[in-house]
Amino acid sequence: MNGPRLQLVLRDLAAAAAFGGMAISGQVPSWVTGLYLAALAVALAGRRPFENGRVSALALLAAVVVIYGAVVMEALDLVVAACTTASLLTAQRMLSRPSARTSQQVHLAALLMVAGGAVLSADLLFAVCLFVYAILAVLSQGLAVIADAGGGAFPPLGRVLRPLFAGVAMALAGALVFFVVFPRLSWNVASRRGGATLGPATSGFADSVRLGGSGVLKSNPRVVFRARIEPDPGQDQLDAYWVGRRFERFDGIQWSSSTGPDSTERQVLLGRPQPGMTRQEIDLLPAYGSRTLVALDVPVAFGDAELHQPSFSVRTELVRSGDGEVRLAGPFEHVSYRAFSAPDRGTRPPLDPGERERQLKLPARLDSRVPALAQELSAGAVGDRAVARQLEHALQTQYGYTLDLPGRVKDPLADFLFERRAGHCEDFATALAVLLRTRNIPARVVVGFHGGERAAGEYLVRAGDAHAWVEADVDGKTLRLDATPPQHRSAAGVGIAGWLLARWEALQIRWLDRVVEYSLSDQARLAERIRSRGENAAPRERPGVRLDENGGIALSVLVAALLLAALIGRRVAASDAAHLGRELQRLLRRRGRLGPSGWLDRATVQDPHLAPVREGIARYREARFGKRPLASGEVRRLVRQARQALRAAPPPSAPGAPPPPSAM
Amino acid sequence: MTPRREWFRSAWRRLWRPPRRLRTTAAGRTYLVLTVGVGLGALNTGNNLLYLVLGLQLSLVIVSGVLSERCVRRVQVRRLLPLSPRARTPFHLGWALRLERGQSFALAVSELNPVLRTSVGKLIWLAAGEEVVVRAVATAPRRGPLHLDTVRISTTFPFGLFIKSRDIPLPGELLVLPGRVAAPREPLTPSRGHGLEQRSIRGSDGGGDLAQLRELRDGEDARRIHWRKSAQLGTLLRIERDAQPQPRVVLRLDDRAAPDSLDGACEELAARAELLLARGAEVGLESTAGVVVKPGAGAFHAQAILRALARAGHEGITG
Repeated sequence: MNGPRLQLVLRDLAAAAAFGGMAISGQVPSWVTGLYLAALAVALAGRRPFENGRVSALALLAAVVVIYGAVVMEALDLVVAACTTASLLTAQRMLSRPSARTSQQVHLAALLMVAGGAVLSADLLFAVCLFVYAILAVLSQGLAVIADAGGGAFPPLGRVLRPLFAGVAMALAGALVFFVVFPRLSWNVASRRGGATLGPATSGFADSVRLGGSGVLKSNPRVVFRARIEPDPGQDQLDAYWVGRRFERFDGIQWSSSTGPDSTERQVLLGRPQPGMTRQEIDLLPAYGSRTLVALDVPVAFGDAELHQPSFSVRTELVRSGDGEVRLAGPFEHVSYRAFSAPDRGTRPPLDPGERERQLKLPARLDSRVPALAQELSAGAVGDRAVARQLEHALQTQYGYTLDLPGRVKDPLADFLFERRAGHCEDFATALAVLLRTRNIPARVVVGFHGGERAAGEYLVRAGDAHAWVEADVDGKTLRLDATPPQHRSAAGVGIAGWLLARWEALQIRWLDRVVEYSLSDQARLAERIRSRGENAAPRERPGVRLDENGGIALSVLVAALLLAALIGRRVAASDAAHLGRELQRLLRRRGRLGPSGWLDRATVQDPHLAPVREGIARYREARFGKRPLASGEVRRLVRQARQALRAAPPPSAPGAPPPPSAM
Repeated sequence: MTPRREWFRSAWRRLWRPPRRLRTTAAGRTYLVLTVGVGLGALNTGNNLLYLVLGLQLSLVIVSGVLSERCVRRVQVRRLLPLSPRARTPFHLGWALRLERGQSFALAVSELNPVLRTSVGKLIWLAAGEEVVVRAVATAPRRGPLHLDTVRISTTFPFGLFIKSRDIPLPGELLVLPGRVAAPREPLTPSRGHGLEQRSIRGSDGGGDLAQLRELRDGEDARRIHWRKSAQLGTLLRIERDAQPQPRVVLRLDDRAAPDSLDGACEELAARAELLLARGAEVGLESTAGVVVKPGAGAFHAQAILRALARAGHEGITG
């Protein structure tokens, strides 16, 4: 392949990578994707049908008018419209007569698409697309400039590509340096929430569970939340239940929950805190798509929910509904919270008559064969616990698991129990709950997740791990029963695909942590780390190591960028809010209470002695991001109070210790 | 001027004339607008991925500067001047480029001279160790010596967003000969106050009729032998002819005239001189200060007259 031809191919592939970075958000209209792919195929085949660009330009203009008409009619998002326009413009230019000018226009339009992709998606795939785009665009544009230069034959490709690859390496390294050192100043006047990435959210929590339907349930591998658990279970594959919602009423087709009075709180207590509780820090990812919070069985407390915006986080309140569900009061695109779960249920007072009646109520038109089946399956069992366990075991062993939905049937439960004898977790849970009720054992269906896959010290839970099981009231205790065959309770990947998926998820988590959520406090921590390393490192001679010319230039660029960043950062830090934040962090660091999030250490976050510190942090956030400026002398007062509180507070306790009851 | 003062002057000039010039192309301007837009977007939204894209864009600007610097930095230039460029007539100007190490791409070479109109010499690739000649077409509007002092090497490599130029000091002089004008039909008729003087000479070995035959003496040219008569008489005889009348013309130029008028006179005299020399006349040149070029004939002599006419009025006429 000669130079000019290679340049065109690289140019078109660079534009395709830019389009890919945008399309992974799933927000680009499908007809645009189709058109773009067709244009790409034609361009890669070397055909340029738009030799006379006038007609195609008019068509493009008409399309743009239609697109922005849709924006005016509120049928299309403005950012999506801009991205769509950029992709159509790129396609039109790709199919036009090749020239240096056309190539530059393709690259500039592709750059618009890349920026659009950055706004629409926060997925790791965007990084891959950006990386590919950067490489191909640099190579292609370099070749285009040489091809357009004139004054001789095109030089050998190997000679040309060498400096261009050096340029690619420098560009990527420079981008990284800029990204790390560029001060994260955010005016936050036009922030836009990150997209759910790769299609809509999928957790599937709803107000009801409905049996039946047609089609095939898919085991979706998308991670919907991640959790850091203390004490660490240390298992690669977690065998645990994450409780979401409970349903008590069953009408023969769907389960619904009893409604009760809602209350809005910062911290929600569902039970009495006890020693040895499991602490969970849970991050609901954009794919989660529900307000319902989950926690390991048995959830006791929820709190410290924070909604993460691109550059800062704000506290959000929780709503506790009558049936024990805890959900978020505000937006839920990316929320983190803490939950505490008890190791066992302990004893509890007997169910009140109304609740017992609800948990025993059978559907009005229950198939008459069901009670007989319950009798048959539990024959020989003595006592409620034995009956419950025998029914659970019978369903696990005598019924099959399938993701095929049966289609519209009149009685899905009878269809599962007597016709198909195969179903998914909701069928198993429904069947077990109804069978238990026929044996006069109160039971309800619980939906949530089962499992968790270890990655980067955390547990990842996927949409495909969504699960349903049963809680029965047996001998004054709540008994968890799961009739679904154990191998089908969660959707963990197996084999090479599963291994690759796990690695990808680990990368995705690092990407979210270190890039998407990189912030000013991360920069401050990085600077602090560099400074402390510099102080600790002993000076030593390194004979023989000498910077060559390129290294000198790169170092100069780095130093200049750092100086610029320091200059800008210094100006920014001059504000009162930044000064307050810095002082508080300094105090916390000195007292050994600076946590990984940059503020209070996790273990002592609820320490009542540290209330003045929390007040200072809250005022810093309000002043920094909430446009509520600090009053004259307030910084000094807050810092003084925080210092006194830290001096008076007892030393930090060991990690994993339960929080004091008063904190929740 | 003392050496210290000269050093300060050159330092001052260097301060205000940086060694590199950077201009943006149309695509570069659009790119910078896009970069500013992405930067504003990043600041407004706090979107870290926009910061990443911004980082890449800024990084590409720096990479562009580094790679283009490598292209123009070590290029050595030698100017190749034409022998007889005429005013208002396009001529080729050349530069020999050489690189000791590395390689350069997409080079453009031009002269920094306000008078000389040159196209840009282009070179797609310059490898280390070889000398490549780049040519461009130039046009000088007027005759006279042109002082060339700087050659500009530019490149748009690697991305075509910026044009980086390096000005290389390279003193030289290009003497532009008078422009071509139509010669008068009768070249011996004086006109416009500039005169000419016609003289004749005779000799015995010219190109005229046969005068006599005589014996060839030692050392005489054998080509003058009349071979038939020599064979008949048995001794070598040489031919002697009458000398042909050769016009000897001395052109007179009034170099005190106004520049425009002087340019016209020089071009007219140049045309006359070329015509007369082509007809076999011996042509000389005098100015108000005296004889400049003694009468003579031939192509080399024509160059001498044209060069003298080119310098007329600029630094005094010299042969």
